[in-house]
Amino acid sequence: MDREQQRGALIEFLRTIQKPDCPLAELDDQSGLVESGLIDSLALLQIVSYLERSHGVDFTEGGIDPEELRSIQSILDLIARAAPK
Amino acid sequence: MFADLHFGALRELETGRGWTGAEIAARVVSRTDRLRVHGLRRGDRLFILYGNNLEFFVDLLAAWNVGASVVPVDNRLTPFELANMARQVTPKIALADKTVPPALADALVGLGCQVIDASELSVAPSAPYCAARLDDEALILFTSGTTGVPKGVVHTHRSLRARWLGLRQSLGIDCFRRTLCLLPTHFGHGLICNSLFPWLFGQELIVAPAFSPYLLLRLGSVIDEQKITFLSSVPSMWALTLKGSKPPQGQTLQRIHCGSAPLSAHLWRQIQEWSGIHQVYNAYGITETGSWVAGTSIADFEPEDGLVGVPWGAVIKILHSAAPQAPFAPGGVCPTGETGYVWINTPALMQGYYNLPELTEQVISGGWFVTGDKGLIDERGRLYLKGRERDEINKGGAKVYPADVDAVVESFAHARAVCAFACDDPAYGQNVAMAVVLSRRDDATLRELQAWLKAHLADFKIPQRWYLVDELPQNSRGKISRAAVQERCAALQPVDLVSLLRRG
Repeated sequence: MDREQQRGALIEFLRTIQKPDCPLAELDDQSGLVESGLIDSLALLQIVSYLERSHGVDFTEGGIDPEELRSIQSILDLIARAAPK
Repeated sequence: MFADLHFGALRELETGRGWTGAEIAARVVSRTDRLRVHGLRRGDRLFILYGNNLEFFVDLLAAWNVGASVVPVDNRLTPFELANMARQVTPKIALADKTVPPALADALVGLGCQVIDASELSVAPSAPYCAARLDDEALILFTSGTTGVPKGVVHTHRSLRARWLGLRQSLGIDCFRRTLCLLPTHFGHGLICNSLFPWLFGQELIVAPAFSPYLLLRLGSVIDEQKITFLSSVPSMWALTLKGSKPPQGQTLQRIHCGSAPLSAHLWRQIQEWSGIHQVYNAYGITETGSWVAGTSIADFEPEDGLVGVPWGAVIKILHSAAPQAPFAPGGVCPTGETGYVWINTPALMQGYYNLPELTEQVISGGWFVTGDKGLIDERGRLYLKGRERDEINKGGAKVYPADVDAVVESFAHARAVCAFACDDPAYGQNVAMAVVLSRRDDATLRELQAWLKAHLADFKIPQRWYLVDELPQNSRGKISRAAVQERCAALQPVDLVSLLRRG
């Protein structure tokens, strides 16, 4: 899956956990997902589960760096770093 | 009057700003003077529209010096909700800062309240002043606020002191040497117990932004860096921390409280394992009793579902009835091990609900308070909670009152009937759902309803699941039963709100 496909899949996932009245289309890739009101703070946990399930990201060793979950771009960067070389 | 309270240092976690006890004392004197210059007087009410920062605590003490009572306001409320509260308690002054949405300030100005930018209150040398008396109203904490009758819990200086002294006697103060507050300061648990109790007994208080997810994901390192000895919490906070944060390594942490929502034995053990300490307590508290009123204060215990423990500065009885005469009815006390209604007698009990004497009489009887919880006391004298009869939705510790949601939806032009209720939520424990009968069900009407909710209810109270129904089930007396509605909706498909609003 290339980055654009990963982005599409991530956006589809975010639609399932977003607050109903916050238009995802109006959000750019750098915007904070919680700060913009798109998701509840606790929904970060669902993003973590998504990354573990769909992209094999392993948080057990290093824990979660909150910055890596802040925006669509930072999540895509995390997926890229976690991909097997 | 506050000379015997010896407050400790204050620090903001995110900015690093901090004041020593002496600096705070000087600022409190100065702010007291400024508030008086602006016309605040003994018996007045002051809204503070910000929280979880240094200024909040200084302004709270300054208002108390003046003899005024303070209403700490959640600035996520809508102008509609805030105006409703203001109509009930008629604040003389509201303090705002840059975090406060201008629409909130405008709503108060429209009601004749003087809104002051707190950053413009200068700090100047002033003479100490204190007009407060022990039985003056000190705090008014709103536990609901959108219907026509907002419910403000009134605590006096006497009831607050009783809570703090009771806690000191039951828990000691040593563990609280460096206390971290992660909870909102408009919240009784966060303000009275997590913050004011340690701080007003001279301990250092480190204040963090409330419920910050990014902070919870690095809580272990925050505890180490700040040498935290104590923190309080609500169960829903722990999901992020247990998943994302490394445990603390510095061995400074001595005690954790968890309250405001049921703590499962499983989560309790997980918190013990993560923190590496045994002293993780399920703290039972209600705003009306000044928050923490009981907990597991025995040295050796195994976490169990519903286990609370022993009273802290209170007497707890389990009675057969929740009726006002129950505390005095012969044979009214449940035998050991039998489930009944939890009643509490404590000198920390609220004075009452602001301007609502009839509602107060329904819950206070001869000094006894009926909590709305059901529970039992075992043969060792330990309290176990067995369920709640309060009509509230506990969304991760934040209480949402279904009647508030109902009132807003009922005033929507196309609503014929509505019933808000709790639905299960994997993150929050509970969330807000509603069954609604609408005269029109087209997309445009549903979008109008969403906009209506958004205008009248704070985000966390807006129903996340909507069920469109033709009628609501009623009992034989014609009353709508939330439990029956919840049961019926379990078999129905909720509205796909995301798609609906996207199409708009």
